[in-house]
Amino acid sequence: MQLSIRDVTKKYGRGVVALRNFSLELKPGVLGLLGHNGAGKTTLMSILATITRPSGGAVVWNGVDIACDPDALRRVLGYLPQDFGVYPNLNAVEFLEYLAAVKGLDGATARRRIEELLELVNLTDARKRPLGGFSGGMRQRIGIAQALLNDPELLIVDEPTAGLDPEERVRFRNLLSDLSGERIVILSTHIVSDVEATATDIALIAKGELVAHASPEELVAQVEGRVWEWVVPSAELNAARERYLISSTTRRSDGVHVRVLGEEPPRGAIKALAALEDAYFYCLRQQRQPLAMEAGV
Amino acid sequence: MTHARVLYQMVRADFLERVRRTSFLLALGFSLFLAYAVYTGEVALQLDDYRGVANSAWLGSVIGLVASVWVSLIGFYIVKNAVERDRQTRVGQILASTPLSKAFYTLGKALSNFVVLGAMVLVLALAAVVIQLFGRDSRGMDLLTLLTPILLFGMSAVALSAALAVLFETVPGLRGGVGNVVYFFVWMALILLGVPPALPKAQSPYWAPIVDYTGIGTLMGQMQRQLHAIDPLYKGGSSLSVGGLNPPTKTFLWNGLDWNAATLLGRVAPVVAALLLALLAALFFDRFDPARGKLRGAKKAAKSKSVVADGLPLNGAAQLAIASAAHLTPLAKSEGRNRLPALIAAEVRLMLKGKRMWWYVIAAGLWVGCAASPLEVARAGVLPFAWIWPLLLWSAMGTRENQFTTGALVFSAPNAVPRQLIASYAAGVIVAAATGGGVAIRMLVAADLAGLGAWAAAVLFIPALALVLGAWSGGGKAFEALYTAWWYVGPLHHIRGVDFMGTTAGSSTAAGYAAAALLLVCVAYAGRKHKLALA
Repeated sequence: MQLSIRDVTKKYGRGVVALRNFSLELKPGVLGLLGHNGAGKTTLMSILATITRPSGGAVVWNGVDIACDPDALRRVLGYLPQDFGVYPNLNAVEFLEYLAAVKGLDGATARRRIEELLELVNLTDARKRPLGGFSGGMRQRIGIAQALLNDPELLIVDEPTAGLDPEERVRFRNLLSDLSGERIVILSTHIVSDVEATATDIALIAKGELVAHASPEELVAQVEGRVWEWVVPSAELNAARERYLISSTTRRSDGVHVRVLGEEPPRGAIKALAALEDAYFYCLRQQRQPLAMEAGV
Repeated sequence: MTHARVLYQMVRADFLERVRRTSFLLALGFSLFLAYAVYTGEVALQLDDYRGVANSAWLGSVIGLVASVWVSLIGFYIVKNAVERDRQTRVGQILASTPLSKAFYTLGKALSNFVVLGAMVLVLALAAVVIQLFGRDSRGMDLLTLLTPILLFGMSAVALSAALAVLFETVPGLRGGVGNVVYFFVWMALILLGVPPALPKAQSPYWAPIVDYTGIGTLMGQMQRQLHAIDPLYKGGSSLSVGGLNPPTKTFLWNGLDWNAATLLGRVAPVVAALLLALLAALFFDRFDPARGKLRGAKKAAKSKSVVADGLPLNGAAQLAIASAAHLTPLAKSEGRNRLPALIAAEVRLMLKGKRMWWYVIAAGLWVGCAASPLEVARAGVLPFAWIWPLLLWSAMGTRENQFTTGALVFSAPNAVPRQLIASYAAGVIVAAATGGGVAIRMLVAADLAGLGAWAAAVLFIPALALVLGAWSGGGKAFEALYTAWWYVGPLHHIRGVDFMGTTAGSSTAAGYAAAALLLVCVAYAGRKHKLALA
């Protein structure tokens, strides 16, 4: 089971380049695709899900170019798009039965699978309720369920935790971890904590280009020794932002605790344990201003 | 910011948003097509055997009528999405949170609609100038005489259509497909209201110009009187015909309209009515309050079953425990075959889902009417109604994925484009066969094989037409408008050739419609492929 993304480029009208020579090799596990809004994540997800055709390059699934034979991938694909709708007059079971039919599942298998999935996403009690009355979180859970209908070998989830409350988010992270054994899961998000909890590999994307591809540990190692915790008065926070690369801030009674990334600590700062969020900021900043920082990933 | 400026900005933003869409170019293209049809004589104004000499007065009057009659019909369907677009893009919720009043909003939308339709009328006016300059038998150009009827008749009529579009979008029952069908009959009624008495000696009532929203009565009335003065044998007939089947053989000199006070009042009346309708729309406008829709849904849900709010258990820890206990049975590799019957069944269910009991009762009543009436009555009198009733089921074909944003879910499945298209078409055929099945049984009993062939062709043709229009336009409006008009002209009036239902013996060409159905399905498939980046 292997997914190869080879020099994929996607250009839209008016010269907008959403992806530029993007290459990645994926094997079973959870890949966390991290990037700012507009970095090109959704375009990449859409190409991998065979919805959008790349302008250049190829996506190869187990040796088959999906531009030539998209069904080779579609048969084993589960896709949760960032924005999707539902048929408001159908209830949860009917909607999933419809999509199971579209995916070619037989009736008995579909019914069994749907019952399991509804339990998994905690919608068993709402199974007969019209989807038009579902909250955003409930719709998202229906989206998750439909992506798992055909027991996919490649599961693509684009911003899956959007609209989920904290409990649901934890639940979904656990689910992704459980599912990742013998399949490739691609989790696209800009929420670092989602990736931190589940990903076995991380790809950082910025301005349509791959910035880094490594394990979470390797990424964190890049910034080890370069993270500093510093307490500054609130009034001096803006000045600190201008001088240093800050990955996070927390207001406490003694001032604002900021995490500074850099080779040298600000005066009075103490060394802190590096986290994935620090590595994320560091890599993206390095991509933006490569001369300003040393070392690389 | 002054009210005028707010209104200007609203109309400007809406107009810019629209003109940057391909559909706007298509709308302007439709105007050019109309002008071309006038030039070639496919659309013609004639008074029995007469037409006017091709001077500016005649051409201006013909194009003015075409603008007021046809642009007011088609234009309604083109602009009836201004409020809906704000709802879908969620811009409406932003607007609703501003001090903008409901009346101001509906007025702004009506104005914006008017600007779009006005652009279509302007294109017709420009085309008229070109025709007058370069037309085969055109006489000298009199710009004022040419453009006055086009602008006054066209603009006033589309003003009313623009406001009606907003009103229909705000009244809950008229917002969807029902409104699209209802408008056709409203338009028809408004036209008939303005049609002049047949004989030129008969005087129209003094209020006639006020209700003559297209100006057809005013214009034709004056033409009739002028022609009658020239030829006393003229019987008073007049028509704006399509197709050029019986072209006029004689000409007369038409000097143009007498722009008296009543005529001018007739042009002001639709504009005033439009203003009032735009303000009336504000009474029905829900200001993008999602709670109004949910309230209806909530009542329905409460009727069916009570459920746990939001589907969440009270205890978060317990919920997490369930998560770890949940189990998914792995599927065998053989799962995921091409099971078309199951997909067709799912499409039929999707099509019928949400229909109330009374819908089925009426459909069943029409079916029984078909089966129980004498065959001729069933074919000519009941079948057209049995096959207009499911119109909104068919109009959703090929559009659902776009309307409900489920395309990414559906089309990422294997072989989804042909399978789903075939299944959707088959579902439409099943609905057609089921709703009109009463007549088929009567034909079988009577061994009327020719009638049965026409019936079968219609069963194949109707959903094919719906599918192709849905797949290419992305919405149901095109089918709703075209089918209603076609149904009115063809099956309801049993016009040979255009009666695709075969409501009388020999009125349908079964083989032709069956072949057309096949062709339309192929075109629908091409449309689907075209709309998807990868298929």
